Amino acid sequence: MAVVNVTHLTYHYAHQSKPVLNDLNVTFPTGKFSLLTGASGGGKSTLLKLMAGLMPLSDTGTITYDGRPWSSIPAGQRSQTVAMLFQEPSLQFTMDTVENECRFVLENLQVDPATMPDRIAASLAFIGITALRHRNLMTLSGGEQQKVALAIIVAMDSDVILLDEPFASIDPIARQVLLDKLVALCTDHGKTIVLADHDLSGYAEWVDHLAVLEHGQVNLLSPSETQARFANFTPAKLAIHPAMPRPTNPIVLQGSQIRLYQGDRDLIKPQNLAFYEHKTTLITGPNGSGKSTLFRALVRLGHYQGTFNYHETNIQKIRQRRYARQVSLMFQTAAAQFLNVTVAEELALSLKYGRTKDFPSERIDQLLERLDLSGRHDQVLYSLSSGQQKKLQLLCMLIMAPPVLLLDEPFKGLDLASVTTVVAILREIQAEFKLTLILVSHQLSGLDDLVDYHLQLDHQHLQYVGVFHES
Amino acid sequence: MNPSLKLAWVVLLALELSFTQVWTVNVVLIVICLALMIWRRVAIKRLLWLTGVPLFFASALVWSLTLQGSASHHFLIVIFTRMFVYVYLGGLFTQTTDPLTLTRSLEQNAHLPAKFAYGFLAAFNLMPKIKAEVASIKAAALMRGQVLHVWSPQLYFKAILTAMHWSDQLSLAMVSHGFVEGAPRTHAAVIPLRHRDWWLTGGSLVLIQVGLFIGLP
Repeated sequence: MAVVNVTHLTYHYAHQSKPVLNDLNVTFPTGKFSLLTGASGGGKSTLLKLMAGLMPLSDTGTITYDGRPWSSIPAGQRSQTVAMLFQEPSLQFTMDTVENECRFVLENLQVDPATMPDRIAASLAFIGITALRHRNLMTLSGGEQQKVALAIIVAMDSDVILLDEPFASIDPIARQVLLDKLVALCTDHGKTIVLADHDLSGYAEWVDHLAVLEHGQVNLLSPSETQARFANFTPAKLAIHPAMPRPTNPIVLQGSQIRLYQGDRDLIKPQNLAFYEHKTTLITGPNGSGKSTLFRALVRLGHYQGTFNYHETNIQKIRQRRYARQVSLMFQTAAAQFLNVTVAEELALSLKYGRTKDFPSERIDQLLERLDLSGRHDQVLYSLSSGQQKKLQLLCMLIMAPPVLLLDEPFKGLDLASVTTVVAILREIQAEFKLTLILVSHQLSGLDDLVDYHLQLDHQHLQYVGVFHES
Repeated sequence: MNPSLKLAWVVLLALELSFTQVWTVNVVLIVICLALMIWRRVAIKRLLWLTGVPLFFASALVWSLTLQGSASHHFLIVIFTRMFVYVYLGGLFTQTTDPLTLTRSLEQNAHLPAKFAYGFLAAFNLMPKIKAEVASIKAAALMRGQVLHVWSPQLYFKAILTAMHWSDQLSLAMVSHGFVEGAPRTHAAVIPLRHRDWWLTGGSLVLIQVGLFIGLP
C-alpha cells in the first residue's frame, strides 16, 4: 500500500525550451484506480517514467511513496514499491518463455527458489493465463504479452502499478480482461494504480477523479466533471456518408479466401475482399483487430492465407521491386519510413525515384509551406515533432505517388487544422494521379470529402457499409 | 558438461590449433566432434550445412594456395582440416548448449556481471523481431525506389537506430522487473560445476597436447 505524492515537479528535456512538466502537483491515493489523460506528447509518459524512477529527476520537485522519496528506498525494494507496464508489449521481457521471465524477476527480488513455482503459478492463475506458462513470449499476441507483463507485476507484488497506454495495440476483449484484473488489484488488494490513456471508453464505472495533464500540470476533475468527460467520449462519431460500392466498379486488389492470423488466433476468418480502383476506402475497427496486419499482408510483409490479386495477378508472383512501387504503405510510425538523416535528404530520395517532373521545387516549397514545414531543410528527421514527422512522411509518399497507397493512421498526432490541410493535399494529388487510397484511421472528423467507401472490421470479418445510391 | 567450461575448452583449442600444424590431431578432433554431434541428435540438415559451407571455403583456399605453388603438401592438408575443426568445434558448442543455461552458467560459474549476461540473452531472444524489422526497412526502401542490399550502409544505419531505441526500452523493462546492477540475486536453477567437468576438460586438453607433441614433424 502506498500513496504517491508528486510535489512541485518540473521537468525539462535537454533539446526543448519549454518544460514538459511545469510545477506539477498531484496525489494518487492508495487502493484507487487513477486515470491520467491528456494530449499525446503532453508529458504523460514522462510523468510515469519519473514516478517509476526510470528517469532521474532533473529540475525541481519530489516524488514520494508514503512519504519516502524513491531515492531513499533501498535498490532491492524499489520494484516492489513501484512497477511499470509499458505501451509496447513485446519489448519488456528479457527471457524466452513466460516461466523463465517470471523466474528472472523473482531471482532479481532474491526470492527463495523453493517458493518460486507456487508464486509463479498463483500469479498466472490470477490473470487467467496458466496455459501460457511454457509458451515462448515472442509467439504471443500483444494482448497475451500485456497479460504476462501484468502477471509479472502481480508476482512482484508491487504496491504501485503504473501503466503507460497499455491497451494501444490490443483487442477489446483482452482490454476488458486486463481492466477487470486491474480493478480487482486495487479494490481487493489495495494496490495504487495509475493508468495513462487517451481513449476514455470503458472507465466510467471505476474512476472517480479523472486526472488531466495539460500545459505541464495535472488537473483533478470533480466526480461530476469526470462523468461528463466520459459521457462525451463516445468513440469518434462517423461524420462520413460513404456509399456502397457498385458491382461494376473496377477492382484493383482482389482477395480470395483471405485469412489473417496471429499465432493460432484468427484475426480475419477466410473471406473474399475487393478494393476498388481510384477510390478512397476507409477501414475502421477496434485496436488489435487486424487492420495493420491486413496492410502488412498487402505489401507482402506479413503472413496470410488465401490469395491477393493485383490487377488479376497474384501479388506473390510479381517481382518484389516492381510490386513495392505499385502498392506502397505509409507506415503507422513515421520513423519506419525514413531512410536518411535530414529533411532535405529524405525529400531528395523521393524526388530521385518518384514523379520528379510533377514536383518541381516550387511546388515542393509550396507544399512544405502549406504543411507548415518550410525552413526545416537541414533539420534532423528525428528531432521533428511527431506531427511534423507524420506530415513529411506523407509528402514523401505522395511524391512517389504509387497507384495504390495504403495509409496506416496518417492523421495520428495531428491537430485539426493540420488534418484539414493534409486531407486537401491528399485529395488534390489523388485526383491528379488517379490514385487508389486505402486508409486506416481512428481520427474520423474532416474525412467526409475524402472517403468514398467504408470497410468495417468487426467480429473477424471485413464488410463494406454505407448507403446504396441509385445510378 | 558445464557450459562455461565447454566454452573455454572450445576457445582454448581453437586458439592452440591456429599455432600448430598437426593434421592428424585435426582429423581426430573432427571425428570426435562429428560423433558427439550425432550422439546429441543434431539434425542431419544442420550437419550438412556445417559440412558444406567449410568444404566450399576450404577447397577454395587450398585451390588458390596450390595455384600459387609455394605451399607444401603438408601445409595444405593442415589448412584444409583446420577449417573443419573450427566450424565443427563451433557447431558442437552452439548445437549442444542452450543459451539460457550458458547465461546462467556464465553468471554463476564464471562470475560474469549479470547485466552483461542477461543483456546478451535479451538481445538473443529479440532475434525474430530484429529479422522482421530488417524486412520492414528493406520494404520501406523499395517503396521509395531504393534497393537495400546486405552490404548497404543505410540498412545498418536504420537497424542500429532501431536497436538503440529497443535497447533503451529493454533496459528500462529490466529495471522495472526488479533487476539492479551488481545486486545479489537468487538462482531458480543452479548450474553445477562438477569435478567430472574439470577432469573431462583437463584430461582431453592433456591428451591433445600429447597428440600434438607426438605428431610434431
